[in-house]
Amino acid sequence: MSDDALDATNPRTLPGFFDALADGELLGGVCTDCGQVLLPPRPACYACGSRGVDVEPQFPEGEVFSYTAVHTPPPAFAADAPYTVAVVELTDGGRLLGRVAADYDDVAIGDPVELTVREPTATEREVALDYETDWPVHVFELR
Amino acid sequence: MPDPVIASVGASPLGRTDLPGRDLFSVALAEAFDDLPDPADIVEAVYVGNQSETYEHQIMQGTLLAEWAGLRHVPAERVEGCAAAGALALRHAVKDVRNGEHEAVLACGVEKMTAGGTSGATDALSAAFDRAIEQRSGVTAPSQYALLGQRYLHETDATERDLAEIAVKNHANAARNPRAQFPKEIDVATVLESDPVAPPLKLYDCAPVGDGAAAVLVTTAELAADLNRPQVRVAGSGASANNIAVAERDMTDIAGARVAAETAYEEAGIDATAVDIAEVHDAFTVCEALLAEAAGFAPAGSGYQSYLPPAERADGWTDVQLSPSGGLKARGHPIGATGLLQALEAYEQLTGAAGDRAVEGAETALLLNEGGVGDAVTVSHVLTTAEAP
Ligand SMILES: [Zn+2]
Repeated sequence: MSDDALDATNPRTLPGFFDALADGELLGGVCTDCGQVLLPPRPACYACGSRGVDVEPQFPEGEVFSYTAVHTPPPAFAADAPYTVAVVELTDGGRLLGRVAADYDDVAIGDPVELTVREPTATEREVALDYETDWPVHVFELR
Repeated sequence: MPDPVIASVGASPLGRTDLPGRDLFSVALAEAFDDLPDPADIVEAVYVGNQSETYEHQIMQGTLLAEWAGLRHVPAERVEGCAAAGALALRHAVKDVRNGEHEAVLACGVEKMTAGGTSGATDALSAAFDRAIEQRSGVTAPSQYALLGQRYLHETDATERDLAEIAVKNHANAARNPRAQFPKEIDVATVLESDPVAPPLKLYDCAPVGDGAAAVLVTTAELAADLNRPQVRVAGSGASANNIAVAERDMTDIAGARVAAETAYEEAGIDATAVDIAEVHDAFTVCEALLAEAAGFAPAGSGYQSYLPPAERADGWTDVQLSPSGGLKARGHPIGATGLLQALEAYEQLTGAAGDRAVEGAETALLLNEGGVGDAVTVSHVLTTAEAP
């Protein structure tokens, strides 16, 4: 098990992960035993149970693994609908869900995408929990 | 170890009702105890499946419903696992009876989903997703399942029409179920032409929002016999959690459901081929296809044929009949009560009380109740007629 303290600067905690993401760096946990990529990083590997988890930058590109469009949004995102979301398989092997900055009809499984990061909008800040207020939002763009 | 049995069941009306949750529970309880002594004379513990306190701003459902049942000074608690809460409550009751702690335990479930309108339900259900990534991306229950569905259509021969046929089949079953929220037949065109919710899923691919409560009394076989009740044996129980985030799971091999079902089969000493009927968690049509495969009824990639008569399905399929109640899709899906409504259907099927929708010769039932998206948590039970091996 890692000796690092699990404080808010540690990327195995959410504040640590989002701090790095705000600087444009997507950090993943990488299991030292089985190689599983964990997004976001966490103290233990779900695939094998190991608590040996390294934190490594993930290359911010990948391919659409699955996708859809949200036509019936939660109240907080009503103004955005319909919007496209996807599960993206990243080049380094991890999979991450996120919005896609493209119309549903312009997306297909296998499409190459790039991860971008922006600050939360005023609306997103309004529905954020106190500790989430400044967390960035990632968006996939078609390459 | 005592052999746990289901000795009685009851349910409230399902759908948009004018009763609050606790009153829906009272209706379900009254039916379950119609031919029994009062709950206070029998029940030793209470588990309440309940998805969310946001609908009625009420936690402490264990305390509340025990009190409304006339029970005091018994252990009573709410069980939470989103839509699997009902089967989790059942599982706790089964374990208490099996390990000898109690002779009679009430497993119940309640949800008042219509209290906050559609947006309230959408918001409450979204709490089941990972907060950090999924919720903040604006996904919804239909869109999460659409991600599974899109991938399933990509990897298999299934089409949107096949998924629509699953909805048609479940509506046809519900048309013969007096408890159903939507007891009416529909055709494929109705499904295919319904509004997009999250492509490839359309309105008629989705189980409805609705209110409801269900009550299931779990006892020892001896007590059920003393009470002169038709009994159904709980021969196996399994549960399995998987990753909370959809992205990190295998999206077409629903491994958590497979583990839960296999655990229940192993306890029951059977395999999938012994199952005559199955109530699976068809919150969205694609779920029935995925769960037919996870439960071992269908070879990988052919679960979508669940709507076909057994003789017309691919090689490797069993003869199981899926969702005879009409499933979540048409019977109804009042989240915390759903797992218990599945048990209710199996009880009625296995005790000859299923009327027009009775599946001929059914002796063994599998229940699969999911919470979160897909197999974030899955609970499985095998129920058998009391005479069956
Ligand atoms: Zn590992």
